[in-house]
Amino acid sequence: MPVTDNSAGKTGAAPEGARARDRLALLTADNAAVPLPAGVQAITAILLAVLLIALPWLGLGYRFLSIAITTLYTAIGLYGLGLQFGQAGIMSVGHAALMGVGAYASAILSVQLGLGLWASLPFAMALSAIVGGVIGLPTLRVGGQHYIIITFCFCALFVIVLTNGGTFTGSATGLDVGSVTPLPGINFDKLSNNYYLVLAALFLAVVATYLIGNSRYGRTLRAIRENEQLARSVGINVDLHKLGVLMVSGLFAGLAGVLQLYYLRHISPTLFGAFPSLYLALMVMLGGARYLYGPLIGAVVVNFLPEVLNLDPVDSRIAYGVCLLLVILLLPGGVGAGIKNIYCAITGGFETQKQRGSNGRA
Amino acid sequence: MAALEVRGLRKQFGGVVALNGIDLDIDTDRVVGIVGPNGSGKTTLFNVVTGVHPATGGAVFWHGQDITNIGAHRIARKRLVRTFQQAMSFPGLTVDENVRIAWEQGRKGDGRWASPGMILEFVGLAPLSKAIAGSLPFGSLRRLGLAVALGVSPELLLLDEPGAGLNDSEAQAFAAVIAQLPPQGIGVCLIDHDMDMMADLCDRLIVLDFGTKIAEGPPGEVLADPKVREVYLGPDKKAAAS
Repeated sequence: MPVTDNSAGKTGAAPEGARARDRLALLTADNAAVPLPAGVQAITAILLAVLLIALPWLGLGYRFLSIAITTLYTAIGLYGLGLQFGQAGIMSVGHAALMGVGAYASAILSVQLGLGLWASLPFAMALSAIVGGVIGLPTLRVGGQHYIIITFCFCALFVIVLTNGGTFTGSATGLDVGSVTPLPGINFDKLSNNYYLVLAALFLAVVATYLIGNSRYGRTLRAIRENEQLARSVGINVDLHKLGVLMVSGLFAGLAGVLQLYYLRHISPTLFGAFPSLYLALMVMLGGARYLYGPLIGAVVVNFLPEVLNLDPVDSRIAYGVCLLLVILLLPGGVGAGIKNIYCAITGGFETQKQRGSNGRA
Repeated sequence: MAALEVRGLRKQFGGVVALNGIDLDIDTDRVVGIVGPNGSGKTTLFNVVTGVHPATGGAVFWHGQDITNIGAHRIARKRLVRTFQQAMSFPGLTVDENVRIAWEQGRKGDGRWASPGMILEFVGLAPLSKAIAGSLPFGSLRRLGLAVALGVSPELLLLDEPGAGLNDSEAQAFAAVIAQLPPQGIGVCLIDHDMDMMADLCDRLIVLDFGTKIAEGPPGEVLADPKVREVYLGPDKKAAAS
């Protein structure tokens, strides 16, 4: 039967002003649903990998490398948040607490039982996943906004428990751990080696995110994000998958928390409170939760912005607020969306995605 | 034994009785139409049968198995699939991905459809497979809704007003697609207000009014039933209409 697409051919006859507006709409749209060609994806991945691997050799200094490590382990946690928010549409503003669960689990195992990073990592990740699932239980009954409040409360509660945990949690002072158990020939006390350790974990996180995003599982999550009722009616167990993705996100958070712990070698409750959690939410929105490199971009922008602009902590909070407003108003898909759109505008990639008003927001 | 058996189904929203003891037998080899005035309980019937709303009383059997209140996704997996009145899609995803999601849930077409593309071809959406679902014109969105439902490899498809919002030619084209389903082993049960289309398309009509079944049979017979005419046209206008 014939297809009657009423929107076809509308752009061609549009006056100049409307065409400019169309072009702007294309630049600011969220085109996460339209994949780039495989070759472009591969080249981007290789360039990025080369840049990240070469970073310690560029002679950018100790301070730069320290911020880079912070950026990378934060990005690992963000990939989990990107999965639950970007793919499944479940936002959390308590994600730092989930990283904290992993970090504290690992630290307590180290202090109490003498387990190092490698031995405690599986336990820390599992505990973060379980806690992520348990916080998620109420989401099955209440809508998204309520879950956001629940995560915020969890975050506050977590800090209170840690602060009052006596010597077990180290109270307000926190806990110390030794250095990462060296692998044969690799001493992680050297900063660049620690960087590569975190980079390897980030690599796993990105690969996992890519595989999930392009799998049946990823599509199932997106279906839930886009339309829960329709998802149910095609046979998707929405409740189970919501809990599932929060647990997967918890795995990422646990990994990030343990890496944070062994980079800082000392953790205290304030690292996992409300502000760090809000920063994580900010980063994932800023970078673009639905784009493969969005979480990484968000982490880079937020961690390096005060450094590049030479801002003190109070000024940087104002800067973050301005950035968030700009992104929400101008680039709802995040900086990742902007970069993709600019690329498509230059190469004419929009020819394949000329659907007007293809705004992918849920 | 019919594939879908509804026995004494009741649904109450607070004090409102939407379904008042409905009995139905629906087979999968034909097109069955459900008609009735607004508020007669047609959509509620679909919602309760497919698990969107829990039943207040009564039971639904699918191939002899009790499926009352077992949850919407479990019912869909048993290949009893429905569409929605409001032309639903996954708006932020491409047309292809919309259908692929359903197709993967439906055990990859169960031999009927080798790929999501075949379903798009069947409903006539293949040229738009890369389009974002939310940007589709309404007629195409209706077809996408059907394609998504077909993706689950249904044995029986419950279509809730598939023609609503379509112009005459679009509705006719849609009816032609629906008519092709029963010969392929996909039973259809549909709700619609277009009596001419229903009379053409359906092998059997069921009329609901105030949550009860008031008539059932071949379209010609049912539409001639004085009780049905009264419900649709009002008691005073009966003479004028005939």
